[in-house]
Amino acid sequence: MATKKVVIIPCSGVGKPFGTITREAAYQVTEDDRPEDTRLVPLSLLVLGDEDAQAALTEAEVISIDGCALICATKMARESGGQVSRAFNSMDIYRANRDLKPKGIAELNDAGLELARKLAAQIDQAVDELTGKADGNA
Amino acid sequence: MFDTLEFTIDKFTFRVRTDRLYTDEGLWVLEQDGTLRIGLSDYLQQHSGDVAFVDARPVGTRLAAGDTLFTIETIKVTSDLHSPAAGVISAVNPDMVTAPEKVNSQPYEEGWVCELSPESWESARTQLLRPETYFEKIQQDAAKELEKDGD
Repeated sequence: MATKKVVIIPCSGVGKPFGTITREAAYQVTEDDRPEDTRLVPLSLLVLGDEDAQAALTEAEVISIDGCALICATKMARESGGQVSRAFNSMDIYRANRDLKPKGIAELNDAGLELARKLAAQIDQAVDELTGKADGNA
Repeated sequence: MFDTLEFTIDKFTFRVRTDRLYTDEGLWVLEQDGTLRIGLSDYLQQHSGDVAFVDARPVGTRLAAGDTLFTIETIKVTSDLHSPAAGVISAVNPDMVTAPEKVNSQPYEEGWVCELSPESWESARTQLLRPETYFEKIQQDAAKELEKDGD
C-alpha cells in the first residue's frame, strides 16, 4: 500500500540561530536519516498559499519544527489544512542541553549543529513511530 | 478580571496590569499578605525574547534591595534582575525549572518567578513605580527604540 510521506515543516525564521537549528534538523531527517519516509515542505510556500505545498499536507502525517514561542510552523500547517501529528521546538532541545550555546545564523557553530543533530534524532524517532517502523515493521 | 493598560507600537502590543507596582527595570511586584510576588512585566518579557532558563536564588536567601534576585537567559540576552526590596526569598515558582516559557506566555499569572518576605517594605515600596508611571515610561522607551531603528 502506498502511503504518503511524513511531511516535515521547519521554521522559516531567518536571522536567528534557533530557526536555523530547525532547518538543519529538517535537512538531516529528510535528506540523510529518513529520505524514504519524509519530505520537506517549506513554510514559506504555505504562507504564500502554494497549492502543491498545501496538497502535500492532505492526509499526511505532519511534523512541525518551530524555533520560538510564536510556533509559526505549527500554526501555518494547521491553517493550511494539515493535521500536526508531532510538534517540536528547538528551544526545548536547548533547554535539555544547556551547555550547548548555539550561535551563528547562516552557519551554526558546533554547539548549534550538535543541537540540530539531537533534534533530528528525536524527529527520526517520531517518524519511525508515525510510519510504524518503531515497532519493527519495515 | 484585572484592569490593564495597553498600547500598540509597530506590531507589538504591551500590557501593564494595574493591580501591582513595577521596578524601573521592568519587574512587577504584587503584595499579598505581607509577601511580595515578583515577575517580569509584559514589556520586559517581550523585549527580552523567549526565555530558555531562569536561575533564581534559593529559598531562604537573604537579599538587600538591589541585589541580584534571579537571572534570565533568553535567545537574545542573559540578564540579572534585581530585588525591589530587602528580604528573604520565601518561594520560587517550580515552573521556572520545568516550564520557563510561562514567563513569556503568562507573565502576570503563572509566569511569576519568586516570592520575597520583605523587610522595610513601606519604605521600599516608595521606590517603585505605579502602573500608570511605568506605562508612561515604557511607552517612551518603545517610541525611542522605534525611532532608533528607523535611523
